[in-house]
Amino acid sequence: MAGLTFSRGTRGQFAAIARVRWQLFGNSLRTLRGRFEMVSRIFIALAFAGGGLGGAMAFGATSYFFASHGKIEWLAFLLWPIFLFWQLFPVMATAFTENVDSSNLLRFPLSYPSYFLIRLVYGAFDPATAMGCFWLFAMAVGIGFADPPLFLWAAVVLLAFATVNILLGRMIFAWVERWLARRRTREILGVLFFLIIISFQFVGPLASRYGGKRPPGMTRVTEQVLPVERLLPPGLAAAAIAQSTEQAAVALGALGLLGGYAFAFFALLHLRLRAQFRGENLSESTAQSKTLARGQSARYAGWAVPGLPGPCAAILEKESRYLARSGPILFTLVMPVVILLIIRLTPGNSGKGDGFLVHAPDLAFPVGAAYALLILTNLIYNNFGPDAAGVQFFFASPVRLREVLIAKNLAHSAVVAFEVVLVYLGVCFLYRPPAAGATLATLAGILFALPVNLSIGNLLSIYSPKKIDFGTFGRQKASGSTQLAAFGSQAALFGIAAVVVLASRMFGRIWLATVLFLVLAAFAFLAYALLLNRAEQMALDRREIMISELSRA
Amino acid sequence: MDNVAISTEHLSRRFGQFVAVDDVNLRVAAGQFFGFLGPNGAGKSTTIKMLTGLLAASAGRIQILGMDLTGNAIEVKRQIGVVPEGMALFGRLTGAEYLNFVGRMYGLDRDTASKRAAELLEFMQLVDQPKTLITDYSHGMQKKLALAAAVIHGPKILFLDEPFEGVDAIASGTLKAMLQRMIARGATIFLTSHVLEIVERLCSHLAIIHRGRLVAQGSLDELRAGVEAQAAAALPPSEPGAAVAGEKLTLEEIFLRIVGGTGGADRELSWLG
Repeated sequence: MAGLTFSRGTRGQFAAIARVRWQLFGNSLRTLRGRFEMVSRIFIALAFAGGGLGGAMAFGATSYFFASHGKIEWLAFLLWPIFLFWQLFPVMATAFTENVDSSNLLRFPLSYPSYFLIRLVYGAFDPATAMGCFWLFAMAVGIGFADPPLFLWAAVVLLAFATVNILLGRMIFAWVERWLARRRTREILGVLFFLIIISFQFVGPLASRYGGKRPPGMTRVTEQVLPVERLLPPGLAAAAIAQSTEQAAVALGALGLLGGYAFAFFALLHLRLRAQFRGENLSESTAQSKTLARGQSARYAGWAVPGLPGPCAAILEKESRYLARSGPILFTLVMPVVILLIIRLTPGNSGKGDGFLVHAPDLAFPVGAAYALLILTNLIYNNFGPDAAGVQFFFASPVRLREVLIAKNLAHSAVVAFEVVLVYLGVCFLYRPPAAGATLATLAGILFALPVNLSIGNLLSIYSPKKIDFGTFGRQKASGSTQLAAFGSQAALFGIAAVVVLASRMFGRIWLATVLFLVLAAFAFLAYALLLNRAEQMALDRREIMISELSRA
Repeated sequence: MDNVAISTEHLSRRFGQFVAVDDVNLRVAAGQFFGFLGPNGAGKSTTIKMLTGLLAASAGRIQILGMDLTGNAIEVKRQIGVVPEGMALFGRLTGAEYLNFVGRMYGLDRDTASKRAAELLEFMQLVDQPKTLITDYSHGMQKKLALAAAVIHGPKILFLDEPFEGVDAIASGTLKAMLQRMIARGATIFLTSHVLEIVERLCSHLAIIHRGRLVAQGSLDELRAGVEAQAAAALPPSEPGAAVAGEKLTLEEIFLRIVGGTGGADRELSWLG
């Protein structure tokens, strides 16, 4: 890094990169979709700002409390969540997208130090870094108010901790980027990280369930884990601040170790970026798969679906293959049962006993089914998203768009049906088989909600399509306008369902809900059929916009 | 012209104020290998999109195999094959699955689709890796697959938008062999390409579009004769025949003369010296 000089040329390159990012942002606002995305980003930024501010107040106040009550070593309890958030959130939020190939920068005459700095600086502009730094600042202020002489030392230690976090974050990204460059490793990593996310969901319920009892094994594990914890960055930072007055040598040693971590992460980041700088190719290459043995036939026959014409069966098969090969979709299918399990493990309000669904098991099936339908709207509301540029084929082929939509709707309906069966089995296993009345009412409710969702989905798929990659985890949401419409329609659907259920409860007859839902379902199917007939012309009128939106790189 | 495969009358397409295709009248006879040329942004892709139903025309009429495209879109699409810009593949299918899918979308029964898909994969030398997803194919493999998909139903007309772009010599040879076979069995091929050497070798007839307007149409010899006649007319009477002396004009020379100029090759950059 010794060669890093801010010469005129280097400053010019930095300014050019900043300028091009600004121009990209400005140009994105030229389209209606871009402006919608901007509005949605403002809302997200506001949410982050709220979280950041709330977190800062909490971290600041708790630090003040610990420092003023002589419990400074407990700062580790605050530093660990910050550390985990800082490292895990960006990976979860952004890692599973098709990353910008940073080697693009390498065709310009950038020096290695400039390249390193650009990767470090631009990569650090993320919400986790901003929030992490803000929270650490709040902690320093809290400590300073409680113990003014400690402020300066705490600020230095927390600055070192922030540096460790920034370097570690960039180092993880640089290495993950290497693995994400290939589709297969990207998908494997995606599965692993989703498993981690799901396992995190169980931490709270299990801790609440078993936390109070503290079995003897748990104490033993805690005793073994604590010394290790003290050697990791959050533990070191807490020790460096806590020991500063009584054992200055220990405090300095802890800060030194923290510096050692920073140096190690820096070196690992350097190793990766240096390899990139020297021309390592991270782009997607032709993956080799099992080759066909001599004499083996490549013949493959498509599905035959009784009652469906050939093109519809072909689309149904294609959709099914896409869904089955999508890690995110498979996880989506499992999630409702996982949620039911989490609720099952979560103690009640008193902290004792079981979750609310155990006391009202007949609600478990409708809750699970409603949740399943809710999360599948991402799929249903962006029918052509996974087809990407392939959508051109539908317009060039001799098949009416109406038939294409029917086949896609059939595939999605099959997924919903499969999901409902899965939820039913999950409920039977985790709670108890739901009562016949509740089951029928739920199924009738789905019969009403499904055609409504399919109709809205067909419209939104034509009017607001967005390319998505079924193999990529994270950031795979529909467009901002679709999300807004989805929110509104789901709110309306849940409102109607609530009115129906309340009406049937008022009369004390659960079968009334089934009848009402069936009547609503008949209207919903009629509306679906009418809309389907018009969808053909709508799609043809908007084919140009659809093709250009879905063919975006 | 007997047996017209493709014809357009006053075909136009506007994007707001910009006229991408302006009053184009095309005639392509059945069985012709037709090259549609033009500089970047001249309107080639826009025209091919309108001819294949991927884009609506702002004005004018399109007839394919004697059928009006607007009124008989489905029937027309049944008779044509398309390799559009960007190829329009479904990346998360294997080659065999994709070809089967396309075959059935064009109305082939399962058995026929399966047989033809296997043959095409063999012909295109894509048979080696049956489990590989299309998204993992190289660019050349994807082009070959896109062409295989465009011909699986035995179309009477094939529309190809830049089929040789980014394709190596081996893959290009396979594609050309396939196209020659199509022509031999009586199909019509409508092709856009920037590789003028390939167009010159393959195409019997050409049209050149420039700034949205059709500026030349005919066989290569007709275009050459037209350019030479123009050049002769431009010369002073004291030097008759000077323009046509020497070797025959290549397609590149004809193209440059028709679209006007050297593309800036005769200009200089102040800082380049």
